[in-house]
Amino acid sequence: MKVAVVGASGFVGMRIVESFILGKVAEVVPVVRSFSSLAVLSRFDLPWKVCDALDVSHLASAFSGCDAVIHAALGDPMQIVSMADAIYAAAQQAGVKRIVALSSASVHGLAPAPGTTEESPLHDRHSSDYNNAKVRAERVMLKLREKGSVELVLLRPSIVYGPRSRLLANVARQLLDGTAFLVGDGGGICNGIYVDNLIQAICRSLESKQGDGEAFLLTDAETVTWRTFYTRVADGLGVSIDSVQRVSAPTFQRSFKERIESLVATPLAQRLLPAVPGQAKRLTKVLLAGLKEPPRPNAWTLPTSPAAVVDEEMSTLQQCTWKYSSEKAAKALGYAPPVTFEEGMRRSMAWLGTAGYPLK
Amino acid sequence: MATSKHSEIPVVLVGCGAISRFFYAPALTALALPEALRVAALVDPSEENRGHLAEFFPEARSFGSIEDAGIGSSHLVIVASPPRFHARQSIHALERGAAVLCEKPMAGSVEDAEAMAAAAAAGGILAVGLYRRFFPACEAIRGIIQKQTLGQLRSFEVNEGGPFSWQAASESFFRRASTPGGVLYDTGVHTLDLLLWWLGDPSAFVYEDDAMGGLEANCRLALEYSDGCRGEVRLSRDWKTENRYTFFFERGFVRWTVNEADRLEICLDGMPASVRGNLVPMTRTGDLLLEHGKARTNPQSFIEQLRNLSATMRGEEELRVPAAEGLRSLRLIDRCYGKRKLMEIPWLTPHEAEQAQRLASSEGKEVASP
Repeated sequence: MKVAVVGASGFVGMRIVESFILGKVAEVVPVVRSFSSLAVLSRFDLPWKVCDALDVSHLASAFSGCDAVIHAALGDPMQIVSMADAIYAAAQQAGVKRIVALSSASVHGLAPAPGTTEESPLHDRHSSDYNNAKVRAERVMLKLREKGSVELVLLRPSIVYGPRSRLLANVARQLLDGTAFLVGDGGGICNGIYVDNLIQAICRSLESKQGDGEAFLLTDAETVTWRTFYTRVADGLGVSIDSVQRVSAPTFQRSFKERIESLVATPLAQRLLPAVPGQAKRLTKVLLAGLKEPPRPNAWTLPTSPAAVVDEEMSTLQQCTWKYSSEKAAKALGYAPPVTFEEGMRRSMAWLGTAGYPLK
Repeated sequence: MATSKHSEIPVVLVGCGAISRFFYAPALTALALPEALRVAALVDPSEENRGHLAEFFPEARSFGSIEDAGIGSSHLVIVASPPRFHARQSIHALERGAAVLCEKPMAGSVEDAEAMAAAAAAGGILAVGLYRRFFPACEAIRGIIQKQTLGQLRSFEVNEGGPFSWQAASESFFRRASTPGGVLYDTGVHTLDLLLWWLGDPSAFVYEDDAMGGLEANCRLALEYSDGCRGEVRLSRDWKTENRYTFFFERGFVRWTVNEADRLEICLDGMPASVRGNLVPMTRTGDLLLEHGKARTNPQSFIEQLRNLSATMRGEEELRVPAAEGLRSLRLIDRCYGKRKLMEIPWLTPHEAEQAQRLASSEGKEVASP
């Protein structure tokens, strides 16, 4: 089987390529947007393609001769939606049989309501533009599938961790510099999935005749709390989990600037934007850039330890009370996560060591 | 070769890519008046690239190849093309009596670099663009090591690199057929040049990287020196690193953050904390301390290497990074590749690790197939 991997230089894309080549799973055509994105992929001698992920004819040429396309590309909210359109159209043009598109469990929000499954209705009014864009991208692809002939499997992995994961690196850095935090006692559910488990689901989706036009939630087998996740990383670094700052669930208010940016990202605004004169757009950008709250320095304070950096995304994730089920993927695709949480964390920590983090 | 102090030096810029646009163009502009450097010609096969540089130097003539540029003995030729062209272009200029500044890495192979050095041997001037040697912080580290200010150097750690961000203009930079190496050859040439300049040749080393039929994105080099000093170098174009060099001496440590030309951190044993800050050039006569402005910044260090070359052409200074120095790091890189082992990639499954070993040891001859 010959498979094009769009977004092959990202965290998941890179591991897909590595695992497919070294595991002799399939012939791989990595597709990236710039020559610079080849820096790590070029460890292997591969027939990569460098092209604009929004250009249908470029993409179709890159997909030529491929049986399947894995869509693992990242982008800003507008690109996420536009790429969904372009990739499906290009696959159709190139005669590809199946697309396996990596959506995200965050289409259900960062802290989904108990009982959430693939069948729960989606909306695009989340506080995160990324989540809304993922919802819109799914809708675009499913609509194209109705008219097109390319089969489509939508995978909704939860929080993907593993070597090269930004989440893992951030948690490690915050544990080391004392800015890590846990909401409450850290008992919220960490819906994690080790990257190799996601790759197994991708492989099953490529092999299976089922799943066309369907979405599948994917997680590790175990139910793990955020306290456990942080403890594994802290133990590896020789940091006491007791030193991690505990915070109560904070509320976040979007700034004026964030509200404007979110408004601009909506499909309606995107349709209207071309009619707005360029000068007005530039002036708005300059005004928004100036809308930073001024710092209020006070020299008359005692020396303190670093404060926890409590961001909305992580604090919302930590308030999750629902463990997603991968039962649908298990039944339809034969998904059975091969890597346990303990083993996934062992490999992840080994990567941190290779990347120069001070493991104990 | 030397010209009069006030006469103009015509400059030929060979290679009009990113390094020329973002480094050489502003440096040459800064030196136009004080050193009388005038960019006379731009050479690049791409008309578009030449056009970008022509915005800085509208008077310069434009050529598709160095052979057409009419190079003579009064010229200063800057070779900033991809490394595989360095030897041919530098030798062409040297044979016509021009002085040459060749960007790092000096050449695509040790043999090519030796041919370049041979072309310069009969009184020619060939400088290599290893401009970190002009950083005041790197000069200070050399002084501390060589004068044993903090006692003998016991060990050191180098962690350098991060996700690749240079705007490569083509895939040739990432193809083994057109580029001899990855992160060691590209970033490591600076690192190894500094280590050789500071410490001399190692007595033994172990080198490993993650190339599996292609070019390495990560590598690790363990070094030993005859005085017992040991060091480890880790380079990456894959993930974020600390970008720090740390030196542990008998009586303290010194840390340097990559590319901070004028800053250093020093801790002497017995101090409750380390001192981190800007270097201030200073002279001492008895109890009289005199400050001399600020230490050179990173861009000023880049300018300084060009100024040193023009001063050498005028017979006023010694060349600080001649061909023989550029060759040293290239030879060490070559020896590293000769002893290459696959580094441990601990997240691979046993089956993947076996195939990785096969691909690494067959130098890419084996093609992975399903």
